[in-house]
Amino acid sequence: MEIFRLENLSFTYPTNALKALDSLSITIESGDFVVVCGQSGCGKTTLLKMLKREMSPHGEKSGHIYYNETELSEITEHTAACEIGYVVQNPENQVVTDKVWHELAFGLENMGLPTSVIRRRVGEMASFFGIQEWFRKATSELSGGQKQLLNLASVMVMQPKVLILDEPTSQLDPIAAADFIATLQKLNKELGLTIILVEHRLEEVFPIADKVLVMENAKIIAYDEPREISGILQSLNTSHPMLKGLPSAVKIFSSLGKTEGCPLTVKEGRNFLAQNYSNDIFEMEASPFSPNSEIAVELHNVWFRYERDLPDVIRGVSFCVHKQETYCILGGNGTGKTTTLNVLSGLNKAYRGKIIINGKKIKDYNNNELYHHNIALLPQNPQTVFLKNTVRDDFTEISKVMQYDSQQQKQEIEEVTEQLSIHDLLDKHPYDLSGGEQQKCALAKMLLLKPKILLLDEPTKGIDAFAKETLKGILQDLKSQGMTIIIVTHDVEFACECADRCALFFDGEIMSEDIPREFFAQNNFYTTAANRIARQLYPKAVTCEDVVSLCLKNEVHHV
Amino acid sequence: MKIFSSYHPVVLLCYFLSVTVMVMFTAHPVLLAEALLGGICFCTVLERGNQFFRNLAFYVPLFLMIAVVNPLFSHNGMTPLFFLNGNPVTLEAILYGIDIAVMLVAVMYWCKCYNIIMTSDKFIYLFGKAVPKISLILSMALRFIPLFKIQMKKVSVAGKAMGLYSSKSRVDKVRSGMRVFSVMVTWSLENAVETSDAMKARGYGLKGRSHFSLFRFTARDAVLLSLTILLTAIVLTGTGLGSTAFLFYPKITHMSFTPFSVVVYVAFGVLCFLPFLIEVKENMKWKYFVSKI
Repeated sequence: MEIFRLENLSFTYPTNALKALDSLSITIESGDFVVVCGQSGCGKTTLLKMLKREMSPHGEKSGHIYYNETELSEITEHTAACEIGYVVQNPENQVVTDKVWHELAFGLENMGLPTSVIRRRVGEMASFFGIQEWFRKATSELSGGQKQLLNLASVMVMQPKVLILDEPTSQLDPIAAADFIATLQKLNKELGLTIILVEHRLEEVFPIADKVLVMENAKIIAYDEPREISGILQSLNTSHPMLKGLPSAVKIFSSLGKTEGCPLTVKEGRNFLAQNYSNDIFEMEASPFSPNSEIAVELHNVWFRYERDLPDVIRGVSFCVHKQETYCILGGNGTGKTTTLNVLSGLNKAYRGKIIINGKKIKDYNNNELYHHNIALLPQNPQTVFLKNTVRDDFTEISKVMQYDSQQQKQEIEEVTEQLSIHDLLDKHPYDLSGGEQQKCALAKMLLLKPKILLLDEPTKGIDAFAKETLKGILQDLKSQGMTIIIVTHDVEFACECADRCALFFDGEIMSEDIPREFFAQNNFYTTAANRIARQLYPKAVTCEDVVSLCLKNEVHHV
Repeated sequence: MKIFSSYHPVVLLCYFLSVTVMVMFTAHPVLLAEALLGGICFCTVLERGNQFFRNLAFYVPLFLMIAVVNPLFSHNGMTPLFFLNGNPVTLEAILYGIDIAVMLVAVMYWCKCYNIIMTSDKFIYLFGKAVPKISLILSMALRFIPLFKIQMKKVSVAGKAMGLYSSKSRVDKVRSGMRVFSVMVTWSLENAVETSDAMKARGYGLKGRSHFSLFRFTARDAVLLSLTILLTAIVLTGTGLGSTAFLFYPKITHMSFTPFSVVVYVAFGVLCFLPFLIEVKENMKWKYFVSKI
């Protein structure tokens, strides 16, 4: 049975001549798990908002949306609010009230239900989601993952028939994200709930989806079962940019030019390789780490705690980063990675140990010396670095601090915008930019400080596969110009592709460090999906490209 | 969790109102002494052990100060004890000073207890009964303030890491504060738009919004409420009949000990010691249960 039917749906925003949605016609079956993906700005979010009447943007609309055979604009307000649930990207912004129980009851209060009914439904939902532990807590005390789960629960309490989610996991760490996706799967499997999900971390959602919808330039280019997607994309364009964002198993499969029986999970990918390829050749050419002899950052037995009575967050960290090196620090939530960056950038003061930056102890830098021509920290949320109404104003402000004259200022800004290709964004308000664009502009602001050492805190959080590619390119560019880069991240794939050395941070110190190939080959769990797929055949293959090249070599060898 | 705070907010509000209002409008030494002792006992049960002495360190000097200041400035009364700088210091003024001090300290103790018992969610619930919109706004505000603080901290730290306005000069600090604040206003508006979308998505604005709370009015709430009303009625009747009237100037009234006024004293005493007795009873019950295991 169908639940949504779009007929020739087009939409144009009043401020934009181009169509945001261009004659979409699809049917969504009741009980389906639909994953929507595509490059940012392709119209995914607009599509979702069109399906939720209360969120529909103003603009020129043509075509029809049918919900259960009725035109969406004709269903009652009550049905529209209850039956179609919507969860937004940022968990913070959907929480309305101060207490968890009140948040759960909010929607039901709006429906005017009596206390006895609300009591029952809230209790039921809290039990289903395992919220009872923090049922009476204040919403501000919750972690990001808990907040997003609360958002989901407080929509589910209205007993919706369809759940629409716009990148719900983009602000969560991998473990919380996996939990959230698992909950969605449970809702879909056990309650038969229809789910429409926009997501760019496809690794986990691809295998559980019934249908995948790929959008490009306001149009739908593919709408089919996940196993067919790579074939469809390849038939459009053999190097379609969207192929980059697919899960590792699919990527490897499609790069090998196969078409039938696409693997989706690590397990399936493993079987696929084992059945089709031998491992006569399994060694990878290892490029040994040849560091620049100059040391940019050195930490020696550094200890830090926030307050005297609190436990240590950093317990004797020692590492050194060479000039012109990209050093990635990986590790779980709350292990002290971000704190390490703060200590490095002088925001927190270590109470024991030595920190040497560019050959000078951090204590010997006067107040602003450290931040000019020296070290720059890009925080986790790039939004926090903007203080002005346009990106350009923010840039000129930095130039003032750096005491450039107007000629030089113009030239510096010109150079940076050129380098990051952000010309179009200069006159926009920083808050109007997408995640990836904000990231680039924030990075540009940092580069205006002319740092020699760049610290990045979770640079891939909330940005899509394409923006990640761009970021990778930019970082390589900067490195070749002599920059030292230290990245703290959860994203093993990203670390694997752009680091010279990776380090595992756990329990307040560095547990292991090595070049990516060795680092990931020796980890069993904390490694890339490509490595997990291929490790039985090719233990040293850590990226999809590695796996594909080895497969091809073996194929040739065999023939 | 103290047992008294688990009563229904309406009952608690009635109780605190009746005690504090009656304390504030009487000058009768017996009633005031009862209120003070009741307040101290209740407060001591609510707070941790050594807080009792810390309270004393604040209230005893305050008590003495008020008690001493009154006779220094007020020279009414018929019984001068001695002369200070040519002004009479009277017995009545001293006693009145002590009486006022008892009253003030008692009210302060009761307010302290009120603060501990009436948490924000109870307060919001009570408001919600009267004006539902206000209670929602309060709840949203309470949610927003911590969020705002965290973001503000992040923005100023990010600024610091860029070497922006981190010089020591005071003008610079004020300017930096202004800038951070102005961007925070933008951020709040941006947030508010998304929050209001999320509210609409969940049906806010439809007709006939109901009001949900976790509080339930049970039999024991009814018992406490009726007890409060009964005791208050007895005391008020006593006041109406003049048996709790007490004057210090020009000459101290004789304490009345008619049967009815004794009833009034006892009634008020019971009212003031009620929360303390409830807590003690509950504690004993616990000890008893534990000893049986």
